[in-house]
Amino acid sequence: MTAQSIPADLLLSAIREAGVQDVVLVPDTHQRTVLDLLMDDDHIRTVHCSTEDEAIAVSAGLIIGGRRPMMQIQHAGLYASVNNLRGVGLDGQFPIVMLIGLLGRDPELEPEADGSSMVRLCRPLLETLGIPSYLLDGPDDLHHVAAAFDEAAERGGPVALLVGTTTS
Amino acid sequence: MTDRTPDNSEVQRMSLESALDVLARRREEQVVVGTMTANGVWREKSPHDLNLACIGFMGGASTLALGVALAQPERDVWVIDGDGSLMMQLGSLGTIAGAAPNNFLHIVIHNGVYETSGSQPLPSQQQVDFARMAEGAGYAQTASFGDAEEFDAALDELLAAKGPTLIQLYTRPGGRFYSARPTPPGITPALARMWPPVAEALAAD
Repeated sequence: MTAQSIPADLLLSAIREAGVQDVVLVPDTHQRTVLDLLMDDDHIRTVHCSTEDEAIAVSAGLIIGGRRPMMQIQHAGLYASVNNLRGVGLDGQFPIVMLIGLLGRDPELEPEADGSSMVRLCRPLLETLGIPSYLLDGPDDLHHVAAAFDEAAERGGPVALLVGTTTS
Repeated sequence: MTDRTPDNSEVQRMSLESALDVLARRREEQVVVGTMTANGVWREKSPHDLNLACIGFMGGASTLALGVALAQPERDVWVIDGDGSLMMQLGSLGTIAGAAPNNFLHIVIHNGVYETSGSQPLPSQQQVDFARMAEGAGYAQTASFGDAEEFDAALDELLAAKGPTLIQLYTRPGGRFYSARPTPPGITPALARMWPPVAEALAAD
């Protein structure tokens, strides 16, 4: 397998088509081209957080207030945010969709075979938490974006989308 | 250089009840997020279908409230935060100041201790000043009170001005100790029961 770069405009289109109104983010090097587009977008609001655990709580508050947010973070932030992911996302049963960049991943390998613990442990951690995840390893995987919102709403809980390589 | 030598041991402190009484008298249709020991007292003083609570994710009250405030810009949102809670996610001051919601009131109950776990001292208990931190982060206005009458006299003007506003309330620790009971398997967590009715009320309004 070889993960392919996803063009930023295609990922943005998928986010728009999923009906996202707010992107709650801590910057991710991996998705910087998408972030550039999002920050210039007239229809999607970006909310910039200091930490990823804040991003989870902000997303939950937006959902309570009737908005449709999506989180955009880096894998290191997933590890940093586990208590809020548990206490807000899981215990609160909030349908939070998280776009998580696998910064530094070897695109030739499955994430679990990667030399970096940040990449390698990402899916096992999500599995431990009972959070479904889908790997976006190229433009053909973008159908997972809208589907993730449907699944999050149906199950009443978070769903993760892992961006497999740097967006272009 | 600062000309202030902070020493919280010398500040005047009011009771938590008297501080929350002042707020409860202004309660209308605001969404209020409470946390830690103040939450229980608040819910007794101001029972309301727009009360939310941060339970089980200490430090998250202010950003949960921020999300609601950004989603509901025409409605005032209050958070009754704790000093220990805010210390856990201090970066939230920058997040809130950056988002700059005009409708956001951040109350910080400054009692200097982790009351729920047995009143152990806060780090920098004698020095920490959240109003100054919020001012530095970029909140629109900040204030501190240790006397309920002074707080009462100033609050209407603070509420009338654009936020985000942080009000630090110096209170006396009340010795409230919280010991968690075991949760039986299969119980829906409190947060999952609490927020959908609030969301429905907001959507219906």
